[in-house]
Amino acid sequence: MSGTLRHEIRFTLNGAEVVADVNGSEVLTDVLRGALAQAGTREGCGKGECGACTVLVDGLTENACLTRALEVEGREVTTIEGLAGPDGELAPVQKAFVEKGGIQCGFCTPGMILSAHALLRRTDTPEEAEIREALAGNLCRCTGYVQIVRSVQRAAEIQRGERGTDG
Amino acid sequence: MVETRFLGKDTPRPDAAAKATGQALYIHDLERPGMLHGKIKFSEHAHARIVNIDTSRAEKLPGVRAVITAKNTPEVRVGFLRDNLALKSGKVRHFRDEVAAVAAIDLDVAAEAVELIRVEYEPLQGVFDVREALMEGAPLVHEFNADGSARTGNLLDLTFRHASGDVEVGRCDAVYIAEGEFSTPMIQQTCMGTAGCIAEFDPSGNLSIWAKTQIPFLAQRDFNQALAAMGLEGKNARVIVPCLGGGFGTGLDTHCYEYICILLAYRTGRPVKILYDRDEEFACLSPRQGATVRISQGCDAKGRLTFRDVDVLQDNGAYTSWGATYPSVMMLPATSLYRVPHIRFDAMIVYTNNTYCQAMRGYGNPELTWALESNLDDLAAEAGIDPVEMRLINCNEPGETTPMGLRVSSCGLRECLEKTADILQWRERRGRSSSPGKRRGVGLASLMHVGGSGRIYRSDASGMILRLDDYANVYVYSGGVEMGQGLHSALSLGVAECLGVRPEQVHINQTDTSTCPWDVGTHASRGAFTALNAAHMTATKLRARIFALATEVFPEEIERNWKRFSRKNAGATRPDFDFAAAAADPEAFELADGFLFTKEGPEEPWARVELGRFLRAVHFREGKSTMLTEEAFYDPPSDLPDWEKGKGNMSATYAFGTQGVEVEVDEDTGEVKILTMVAVHDVGKVLNPQTLEGQIYGALAQGVGYALYEEVLTEQGRILNPNFTDYKIPTIQDMAFPIELAFIETDDPYGPFGAKGVGEPGLVPTAPAIANAIQDAVGVRVHDLPITPEKILRALKEKREGVD
Amino acid sequence: MSGHGLRRLPYHKPRSIAEALEVHGSTEGARFIAGGTDLVVRIKDGRERPSALVSLRGIDELRAITVDGGETTIGAQATLTGIASHPAVREQYPVLCEAISTIASVQIRNVATLGGNLCRASPCADGAPPLIVLGARVRVTGGAGPREIPVEELFTDPGQTRLEPGELLTSIVLAPVEQPQRGTFLKQGRVRVDLAFASIAAQLHLGADGDVCEKARIAAGAVAPTPVRLSKVEELLVGERITPELLDRAYEIARDEVRPITDVRATADHRRHISGVLCRRAVERIVGWRAAS
Repeated sequence: MSGTLRHEIRFTLNGAEVVADVNGSEVLTDVLRGALAQAGTREGCGKGECGACTVLVDGLTENACLTRALEVEGREVTTIEGLAGPDGELAPVQKAFVEKGGIQCGFCTPGMILSAHALLRRTDTPEEAEIREALAGNLCRCTGYVQIVRSVQRAAEIQRGERGTDG
Repeated sequence: MVETRFLGKDTPRPDAAAKATGQALYIHDLERPGMLHGKIKFSEHAHARIVNIDTSRAEKLPGVRAVITAKNTPEVRVGFLRDNLALKSGKVRHFRDEVAAVAAIDLDVAAEAVELIRVEYEPLQGVFDVREALMEGAPLVHEFNADGSARTGNLLDLTFRHASGDVEVGRCDAVYIAEGEFSTPMIQQTCMGTAGCIAEFDPSGNLSIWAKTQIPFLAQRDFNQALAAMGLEGKNARVIVPCLGGGFGTGLDTHCYEYICILLAYRTGRPVKILYDRDEEFACLSPRQGATVRISQGCDAKGRLTFRDVDVLQDNGAYTSWGATYPSVMMLPATSLYRVPHIRFDAMIVYTNNTYCQAMRGYGNPELTWALESNLDDLAAEAGIDPVEMRLINCNEPGETTPMGLRVSSCGLRECLEKTADILQWRERRGRSSSPGKRRGVGLASLMHVGGSGRIYRSDASGMILRLDDYANVYVYSGGVEMGQGLHSALSLGVAECLGVRPEQVHINQTDTSTCPWDVGTHASRGAFTALNAAHMTATKLRARIFALATEVFPEEIERNWKRFSRKNAGATRPDFDFAAAAADPEAFELADGFLFTKEGPEEPWARVELGRFLRAVHFREGKSTMLTEEAFYDPPSDLPDWEKGKGNMSATYAFGTQGVEVEVDEDTGEVKILTMVAVHDVGKVLNPQTLEGQIYGALAQGVGYALYEEVLTEQGRILNPNFTDYKIPTIQDMAFPIELAFIETDDPYGPFGAKGVGEPGLVPTAPAIANAIQDAVGVRVHDLPITPEKILRALKEKREGVD
Repeated sequence: MSGHGLRRLPYHKPRSIAEALEVHGSTEGARFIAGGTDLVVRIKDGRERPSALVSLRGIDELRAITVDGGETTIGAQATLTGIASHPAVREQYPVLCEAISTIASVQIRNVATLGGNLCRASPCADGAPPLIVLGARVRVTGGAGPREIPVEELFTDPGQTRLEPGELLTSIVLAPVEQPQRGTFLKQGRVRVDLAFASIAAQLHLGADGDVCEKARIAAGAVAPTPVRLSKVEELLVGERITPELLDRAYEIARDEVRPITDVRATADHRRHISGVLCRRAVERIVGWRAAS
């Protein structure tokens, strides 16, 4: 690929193919919030330290404020907007956060939920230590994290129930 | 205690789903048609004369629509002492000083333009230490006051003083005395959503401003004054509050960047947005005020406190914001936490060329309680009295009036102390020896804080409007601000409870000064306390009107119901009840779950009228069309204190609590590990368990950061750690210990449903509880927050070497 | 921080090492970028102003982790997550996996690379001490031709490596570990998720009876201008029975061998002290594992 400044890239965003114009080395947060009008991916620090901009790229969490948009070409990106069902029904992890008080001001919430979601795709019986490790890169100033941990545990419970493996 | 239908039950917040899906709109997400982006040029010196500002290159950059400085804009004074200017003129007094600003078509152009502005400075000697600033010959940070009078020194002319009894008598009466000097640093609020605003003028010169504020109406007042200064006397500012992204006190003042945004919007004739990035948030937004507190307390042989002598010294920084008034709240614990007959309190606030500070959760109480509760443990040790016992001996009691004049209408402090000690297994763990290397200890500390708002302005009121539509939707208009603390949850449950509808029928409107009634602001833990009291008053009026109308309309609606019912249920027999007679008396009615019915009478579904149906009947009556909107204005029964005398019942009621901690101190590395935490709070009544717990857990985490990690580090005024790399707040890994909460419901007579404010108390005693536990573990006391490993090791070394 | 000009920074995505070297070589001021978790931040801060970025992410051969004849080769573009979860790495080089698990967060580890960690050459790089005690080498290409550099000799100054302009680090090579050896990595930060202000990696070969140290390699991070080997501590331990008294001596020697500075994270004195404490604890831990097994 040549080093021209404006590129059109195709990638899968929340299950649907999208086309986006990317300028130079601009980061994914700017493309998501700008051209693609997905405001749920929030910028809290721009330097990969707070996790508010967490998205999934091919199922793994990344800080979108550091990911160059050109790097997601041809890949699958999941943002907070991609979790709820097509009829708007909240995903188990979202329901759990609402139910268990894991949300206060909400700014860290999309990133926090996506980190939890990535964990729950790997396991639906996470230990508390695993939950804390998965969310260690998501800062929250409001909750003290207690109800966030409970939310993830509740999400795992819902997930187990839906799979018929509750126990 | 009153039986409640919705309050007291664990209920998800009404705003949670929108936040969980990313649909909630913060200032970061808002755009206006034709909007420009603003960026500010900050000072390159801590103290310097501005010789010249050359904006010519910036103005020529394509995409730039305006470049402003103090020279080409009207002077706008900022802050309650008006010692600050939106754009600095003459000299700069700190690195964060705003000297110029740009509005451009996008952020990249705006930032580039800022770089192109050339400022010529003549550096001046700065002063960065409070004691140095007080010395003769110290550089003057401000040569003049706002009124033009000349200044001769850096000491601010602000008085926060209290004297009760005679501390000298108290000293004489004391058998044991403990003295100490304690300090707290500046810390950052670190809201996850940074500061920002959008300013937009309409063709008539009226301003709309979307602001990250906790004080929409005081902001309106401030912005109207700015408009007048801009030659727009009589024009109005409309303040609209989006989803906040955290507050913690950062929204209690109006900020230079907001005025700059307004100036840019006016200059360009277009909406302008200024958004702080995280670097600017750390370096250029006002942090929490630090303080040095010298305290001595004494007790008699039985452990009863005889005196408390407190001197506070604060570094005011370059300009004045709310940090300067922390001593007003410090006075509360200083005069009233535990019973003390002889008290002296005084504060000195001094200008320097450091950054200046604003409100943060607790507003001086954590700073004072840090000193008071640490020192009290020292006193208890001197007297040979157990720390829990010491506090119980001097415990506040309900019904007392404290030396400051605070009327304690309810008080659960005794229960909080006992329960904390119980949960912590105090008797088993206190003073227990543990193996060398990693030593364990327990400690606790208590708090007293405002629980019924805090009167700091001539009105402490909260207005409420409730409007019913044709479908029994209840629209709430409140000037309070939801910043994540759960105000909307309290409102939806509280209005439902008071009115007799279901929470799903309650809709809360966006806080907007053009639609909502006046509210002094969401601070002092007052959000739910005042709004729910106002809601109760309003709902009472609405219910009276509904029941009065019901005397006219209810019987007909019942007949309609019966006809419909009997058509579908042939053979149904109608019980013998004279609805018309019953309905003659408005007192006969009740409203619950969105249904209107008579208290006496059949329990059948047809015997109650759905509220929406009732309201439509009332609305569409010929000749008597009526719709229902009601309002109330609640001002808590409290007084604006006289700060020079230190007297006045500043709140309607007071919150109490105790927190306890077990720690393990690693004697080799100095690290403090929290093993378990306990918090028992007198909250009056639990309105919603999950939002209450959320507030306490969140405050505890901030308390842990305050106690162990957080500190704004500065050198010659420059902030050395303006980023998350070096300003560490607790992550989920740092809160990986069990926390047990308990709530004492003292059912306060002034609280809505007996509830007291809970937003701030959780942060007040955490640091001294941890320090007291460390004392128990390793026998050393650190006086200066944060308690870092290096300070612990130094203290241990001094102890080993026999230094006091 | 905005206005860093990322939008105006050309971004190249070569598909091969040769193409990468070619583009980089022909564009003055171009920088290679791997995970970017460090470089993007530096560009946003204005501390780096490259003329273009040459991404290595699309070069598949740089991502591979292979085992051949007992030797493990980790591609420079392998992510930290990928490395720490690779069965061969987990089995043979637990000290490296321990260190990786202390780096930042899951989000960072999913994109950051070990190659990038080494090239950034931060004095507190967590990848360096374990690679030093494992005797790892890096393979470099471009410039005067392919060569190998022991990780122990890779760093020259804070932020500087021996790589010449135009050279590209392609892989990290780890020799098979002769058993029985155990290693561990201990890191001290201000909070759990933090940069190190002192770190120690230790790899010990304990004799048949369990606490005679036959071989020792110890390296420290964040306490000198570059990650360093603590050879004096190693000399003290080799051939000796590990006793509390010996470890007290090790503490003293480690304290003196490191050359830390004072910065916002910790004072030099504290870093010296903690280096000594971590040295002692690392050895105790390995001895303890051996005793337990």
